[in-house]
Amino acid sequence: MTATTRRWIRIAFAGPGAVLIALIMMAGMALWLPGGAAGIDNLVLPLILAPLIWAGLFFHACLDSRLWRVAIVALGMLLIHSALIADKYLDKSAASTEAHR
Amino acid sequence: MIHLAKDKTKAMVAVHGWSGILLGLLLYAVVLTGTVAVFAEEIGAWSAGHLATRSAFQRPMADTLRQLGDETPAKYREAVDLFETGDHDLGLFFHRHEMDGGELISRGIFYVVGQDGRIVHRQTGTNEDVYGARNDNALSAFLVDTHVRLHVPNPWGLLLTGILGLSMLVAAISGLLIHRHLFKDIFTLRRSGSPVLANRDAHSVAGTWSLPFAFVLAFTGSFFSFFGTIGVPVVAMAAFGGNVQALTEAVYGNPGKPDPRPAAIGNMDRINADAIARAGAIPTFVTIENFGRADAKVTTYHPPKAGAIAPMSLLYDGATAAFVQEKPLIGPKPSTGGTLAAIMSPLHFGNFAGLLSKAIWFGLGFAMCYVTYTGIRLWLVRREGGVRSFAWLERTNIVVGLGLPFTLAVSAAAFLLTMPIGSATWWTPAGFLIGAALVIAAGAIAPSAVRLSRWLRGATGMLLILLPPLRLLTGGPGWGIAITANQPIIVTLDIAFLLAGGWLLWQLRGRASAPSQSVALQPAE
Repeated sequence: MTATTRRWIRIAFAGPGAVLIALIMMAGMALWLPGGAAGIDNLVLPLILAPLIWAGLFFHACLDSRLWRVAIVALGMLLIHSALIADKYLDKSAASTEAHR
Repeated sequence: MIHLAKDKTKAMVAVHGWSGILLGLLLYAVVLTGTVAVFAEEIGAWSAGHLATRSAFQRPMADTLRQLGDETPAKYREAVDLFETGDHDLGLFFHRHEMDGGELISRGIFYVVGQDGRIVHRQTGTNEDVYGARNDNALSAFLVDTHVRLHVPNPWGLLLTGILGLSMLVAAISGLLIHRHLFKDIFTLRRSGSPVLANRDAHSVAGTWSLPFAFVLAFTGSFFSFFGTIGVPVVAMAAFGGNVQALTEAVYGNPGKPDPRPAAIGNMDRINADAIARAGAIPTFVTIENFGRADAKVTTYHPPKAGAIAPMSLLYDGATAAFVQEKPLIGPKPSTGGTLAAIMSPLHFGNFAGLLSKAIWFGLGFAMCYVTYTGIRLWLVRREGGVRSFAWLERTNIVVGLGLPFTLAVSAAAFLLTMPIGSATWWTPAGFLIGAALVIAAGAIAPSAVRLSRWLRGATGMLLILLPPLRLLTGGPGWGIAITANQPIIVTLDIAFLLAGGWLLWQLRGRASAPSQSVALQPAE
């Protein structure tokens, strides 16, 4: 892989990648974070942490010298949280199909 | 001390520079108007000449509330907001919640009750109409709106200021990372060196001292901008299948068994008196859920207690007016998420310890403006003599950096001139645009950047000095009346404008023939 390609991949992770993954994480976190004493932590904390998650992903993509590590962290977060959201929606559609029968 | 490899430091310097250059001028506008808006309430009282000091929540309102409840159609009695408007008049917004294009809004009837208990205003509309600019608060509302969304329609304005917040977050963190000698840099001000070196030191010192503040402002600011526009719909999509109202209910609502039986609202005067005694402060806002029902709930919101940062709220049974509990601002019980969300507002607005914290926030905000302005200048100096000329950007930086205070002063003058004739909501932004046109014209015709800078400083200084007499000439209360009415903020702001204007004019003395600053590139960065 050429240095220019590596640079563009890094820019993609720091730019649109960080925004997309932060959004997916914000949605996914609502599904695994504990609700806390008031039952709202899973709803409120993702909203509060979103700018910091984005900043973390951005600076990790800029500063980690190993590009594969940037890719693993970013894509890992993306996959885990996407899977949680997909699971929730599949559950919901399965339940609604059952209800219609 | 932060040690980064040379190539990473270089990357961070580039990130720091470009984050400022790409959005720096817009960021400057947001930070400057935000700095001024820290005193929005005080500017509102100064500009409109408000003299009343007795809160609407200290006056009897129970009978008026019941009477208006009877007059209001049942469909708008889902909830009522009570707040002070104008010169301590009472605003009552009877409304229902509904979705409008994917956005949760409130629609209903808004009443204003004057100090003598008479209804002075009645209007049907949405929350945007009710909480928007009025003739007597047009100046402070204009400042706040510029800061919150740069007058770009929602949601785009909020998204824009959210992106600016993120760019400020990047500038703050990368600014911290590129310091090789953080503690040394905090105290290094080389006055005897070249002007460029002195400017670089001043930027570095102001930036380093205000770094934690910049981080907090950027973080909380982007939180507020993205909260309703992106955050709430995304979390509602994941947790409630896209039902924003269900999310709002879960986070802000008061859980309990529904009881739709009709019941007259309890004695609101008793609730107000009890809430003021318990909180030790006048409510800033009061909400009533399920007005006219047996399960009605009244929540009063108060500023933080002495030594606390988070605002407090008290819950009352609406039908009996009995105190139920002190509750967190967000959520039915104290929780990590609720507490963190509750302190975002005082951390952003600096209103947790009265005028003292506001003054500190104002000073640090001013330092941030200075850092943004000088940061762009330093970026330009480093590229002086390069292949591409950035003279246009240097001039633009002066037009925005020094022109914006001038245009804000013009909009204040326009407000003072037109408020007595009732057209301030139109003329305040119009005054801003007129001021902006004058500044842009000056930027186009000024023979040099130094001359342009002098023109703008001089014009701003003169205008600031003119504001207090203009306020008096247009019918504003004099110093004696303001002091007697226990409104010293009017006198304080008059003096502040006179001093600021005088300081700007004082800076210009004897510099007409002085040589312009050398912008030769120095190994400063």
